[in-house]
Amino acid sequence: MFSGKLRSALVIGGQGIRARKLRTFLSMVSLFLGVLAVVTVQAGAEIAERAMLTDVELQAGKDGTVTGYIPGEKGAPGIVEATLKGRADAVAMISSKAIIGEPGLRPINEGGMPFEYANRGGDYQGPMVYCDAGGVCQEQKPQEKKPDGQAIEVSMVALTGDIRPFKPFRPVSGTWLDFASAPSLAPRIVLNEEAAKGLRQYRVPGEMMIDGATHHVTPQIVGVVEDGYPQPRVYLRLDELRTWMPAAAASSELDRFRGGGTGLEVYLQPGSHDLQQLLKAKLIGAGVDQKQVEFRVVNSKERMESELKIMRLIFLGMAFLVLLIGVAGILNVGLATVGERVEEFALRRAVGMSRMLLAGIVLAETLLTGLLTAALAIGAGAAGLQIALTLFGHRFPSLQGTTFPWEAGVAGVIAGLVAGVLGGLIPAIRAARIPIATVMRA
Amino acid sequence: MTAPAIQVQAPLIQLNGITKVLKGQEEPRTILSGVDLTVHPGQSVAILGRSGSGKSTLLSLIGLFDRADEGQYFLHGNDITKLPERKAAALRSAEFGFVFQRFFLLKHLTAAQNVAMALVNGQGWSSRRKRKQQVMEALEQVGIAHLAKSKPARLSGGEQQRVAIARALVRQPRVILADEPTGALDTETGNLVVEVLLNTTRQGCGLVLVTHDHDHARKMGRVLELRDGRFN
Repeated sequence: MFSGKLRSALVIGGQGIRARKLRTFLSMVSLFLGVLAVVTVQAGAEIAERAMLTDVELQAGKDGTVTGYIPGEKGAPGIVEATLKGRADAVAMISSKAIIGEPGLRPINEGGMPFEYANRGGDYQGPMVYCDAGGVCQEQKPQEKKPDGQAIEVSMVALTGDIRPFKPFRPVSGTWLDFASAPSLAPRIVLNEEAAKGLRQYRVPGEMMIDGATHHVTPQIVGVVEDGYPQPRVYLRLDELRTWMPAAAASSELDRFRGGGTGLEVYLQPGSHDLQQLLKAKLIGAGVDQKQVEFRVVNSKERMESELKIMRLIFLGMAFLVLLIGVAGILNVGLATVGERVEEFALRRAVGMSRMLLAGIVLAETLLTGLLTAALAIGAGAAGLQIALTLFGHRFPSLQGTTFPWEAGVAGVIAGLVAGVLGGLIPAIRAARIPIATVMRA
Repeated sequence: MTAPAIQVQAPLIQLNGITKVLKGQEEPRTILSGVDLTVHPGQSVAILGRSGSGKSTLLSLIGLFDRADEGQYFLHGNDITKLPERKAAALRSAEFGFVFQRFFLLKHLTAAQNVAMALVNGQGWSSRRKRKQQVMEALEQVGIAHLAKSKPARLSGGEQQRVAIARALVRQPRVILADEPTGALDTETGNLVVEVLLNTTRQGCGLVLVTHDHDHARKMGRVLELRDGRFN
């Protein structure tokens, strides 16, 4: 029974659309822009969110990753390194400073700042005072000014394993560190883009001086990645660094206050509760303050979603206004069509069609129009995105591999259906109210 | 010996004391006043009357387009005076065939599709093949099967009216209600259309014909004249 009504509605609705192609097309034009606006806003918001998330993930780590920041004192680096050795579900990053270039010179970007700000600061080298948490202060004597020369300062990050499952670094050129092969005497390093820029710009000699190392080393540059950091950084295998640093140097209080010295970051896969407990137990056992050993779960998406929500709502509101204009168009055409088809509708009722089905037919026509328009708008949105990515994708690395988000498709279909219902409801009600006797009086 | 049983068949249509008052912005006007009418299967009835005498109103009440203000309406002996709209629609589809003065063919559909319109009305569903067969039978019945694929604009007035009659016949109704079906046709074509309509009564179908044409009325089994809302 329902099938007969539905089929009748679809058959007659299809006939109505075919019989009024131009009118259908014109009502589709205004609706198309509205649905396209909804699709574009939804797709834009999804892509922006993904792009922002990807950028945040580069620094903070992927959502769900468990991270820990551990002070590099009381043998903590050695404990962490020994605990994580050979594990694929956890990686430690030990950060330090290094200078690449001619030895004994003042680096161009002293302090490891981005090169854009190099040589912009003053030359003040007066006494500086640092105080610890207990209020004990000490004065740092001004360092002897070194002569300027061809050297750059970088943050050096030594890794116990492949960090990319936790931080999705984007390859720029060359390769990533190979953790499967035997350690090399000449440490293999991967630069971030800022470090690569420094090397390219200042053409420094390939000699590296690492804080706490016994000798200068000659690194092998194997690749460049985008890591999301504005400061120059280099990545290398911790075991290759160990060749030059027999024991991880514990940072002094002063180094820590300066932000220098050895810092430790640990990245663990979700659900690694046992490993967390093990690390905590070992570190506390070694005398590290319990309060300083803390792990937290990366939850960037939720935080960003709340930030993006308001912006998305504003844009969606604007898109729905455009959609309403489309609805007004389809409503206008629908009312005009009903007025034109009064005799047809009266006749259909005379031959046995119920009011409900007649209203259903009018609604089916606008719904079919809405859905067809939605399909076109979604297709146009997907094609537009593809073209934009082809033309401008290289300028935005975070958009690499972006596909048309399914959420935008769903939003488009919903917008088409809503527009179809809103635009067809009043004409449908009017059609259902046409008296059959109209055909007798015609 | 016992007398043979006499089977009394219920009338196809029976109207008792039907009254219809037109309530508009002006004063209420009585269009029909206590009309009685009985139509048996295979019977043809002509209704004559001047314009505004209530002929078409009566036909719209019989065809369940409208409701009477007073009186009773029996179809096959069943009281359908206060039938809800949904059931009335089902009855219009199953029991009645309608032919109007204007043919009301949809110009974007072919003759066959116009006839099929009565089959695609939400009252049940048959396959495309079966629908096609029913449509061709109806078109053959009115002698224009060869014009099945023609659109209305390519058909003459008589051919268009025959398509409209085929549309009325395609569901094999019990009653044909025809409202001045020859009003827009010349005499010869009008005669042809009346013949086609009379043919349906030979198959047991009732026919109620509203007309101004006395010649056509005389061809019917009964002739009634409406005057001031009553049959003379």
